[in-house]
Amino acid sequence: MEFDFAVIGDNWQFLAYGVWITILLSAVSGFTSLAAGLVIALLRLYGPGWLRVPCVLYIDSMRAIPVLVVLVWTFFALPIVAGVTMSPFTAALIGLTVHLAAYAAEIVRAGIESVRPGQTRAALALGMSRAQVVRRILLPQAIVRMLPAFGSLLSVTIKDTAIASVIAVPELMRQSETVAGQSFQPIEVFSFAMLLYFLMLFPVTRGVDRFYRRVAHLGRS
Amino acid sequence: MTLDWSVVWQHRDALIAGTATTFLLTIATMAIAVPCGIVVAVLRLYAWRPVRALATGYVELFRNLPLILVVYWAFYVLPILTGLGLSPLATGLAALSVNVTAYNAETFRAGINSIRRGQVEAAMALGMTRAQALRRVIVPQALRRILPVLASTWVSLFKDTSLVSVIAVTELAYVSMQVRAQTFRVLEMLTAMAVLYWLLGYPQAKLADWMQRRMKVTE
Repeated sequence: MEFDFAVIGDNWQFLAYGVWITILLSAVSGFTSLAAGLVIALLRLYGPGWLRVPCVLYIDSMRAIPVLVVLVWTFFALPIVAGVTMSPFTAALIGLTVHLAAYAAEIVRAGIESVRPGQTRAALALGMSRAQVVRRILLPQAIVRMLPAFGSLLSVTIKDTAIASVIAVPELMRQSETVAGQSFQPIEVFSFAMLLYFLMLFPVTRGVDRFYRRVAHLGRS
Repeated sequence: MTLDWSVVWQHRDALIAGTATTFLLTIATMAIAVPCGIVVAVLRLYAWRPVRALATGYVELFRNLPLILVVYWAFYVLPILTGLGLSPLATGLAALSVNVTAYNAETFRAGINSIRRGQVEAAMALGMTRAQALRRVIVPQALRRILPVLASTWVSLFKDTSLVSVIAVTELAYVSMQVRAQTFRVLEMLTAMAVLYWLLGYPQAKLADWMQRRMKVTE
């Protein structure tokens, strides 16, 4: 058995484009799902009563359906329902956001609920409004406490973007598949892709841990 | 747009068989990954230093790789390395097991480490051997921390089995997409697939939540 890693050198631009799309999709969907998750968690906790049940149902449903199913449905079935066409990238962004926002919402809720209720009562007694309590007392502490969970969510996001290869988003997984298929050297190409993914993911998990250790004291009370 | 939902009922046998394969994969993977996870965790905690480093490397590697890539890798590389013509099901099972073993090993390690050292020291001061302390003091408490995590790993695994559809394992996702391709009933079949996963996964997710609440340990 012989290995010939020249195939990597010959296709490096093609693979580098995949890395770029992976990073772009991870960053954008990471941001959108955080924003959406924050809104959903706040609606669930402080919104009107009738919104609570739909929010919980949405969160629990997304935890029950595989991300592959969400992505495939968004790309192939949603255009039929909505009558719009979208690029694979847009479909992946929508699908990943819909899926990951549920997890982000759970993280935010757990973070907010981890702040002792006495603090809320004290702030209300001092004459703050409910919105002020959330903004000035709860979120500043909760966000620090949520950091480790957000870090693992970010690494889940990067891993989930690989599933977008199924709907032909030209990210690293898809590009590797293409090169492997054309060159008939799947071992070299997929092993190299493993290395690239590891190099992207490991620093994220480690970096967030390290950052958290530096700021953890800000979340204590 | 005309919808024809009868296509779902017509292919019920294939969908049921796919669901059975999904469950089979989940159960078989857990059956492999729990004992293997214990072994890796123990190696990582108590073994000779180089073995410990190896176990740590394995856990860190597979926790930092997308599962779908591991599935592809297993599909193309295992036959060449082993010289065996493995079925897609066996390949998918191998990929899922390797992945879940890494997560389980981390769960077990964290569970054991979460019990304060003082407890082992106290047990040994009372005359227990190390093995006794592990068996009678650490493991019973650690289990209550480990079981809820295993339950949520189970739920993730149940969903992740859908990823082996890319190597043509005939589980629920593959079967649904197969029927979609044959009948061109895209919306119907994909919605049916999502609903089936939802019906199967929702109770499991709720059960995992309940275990989490039920087994909370405070030292």
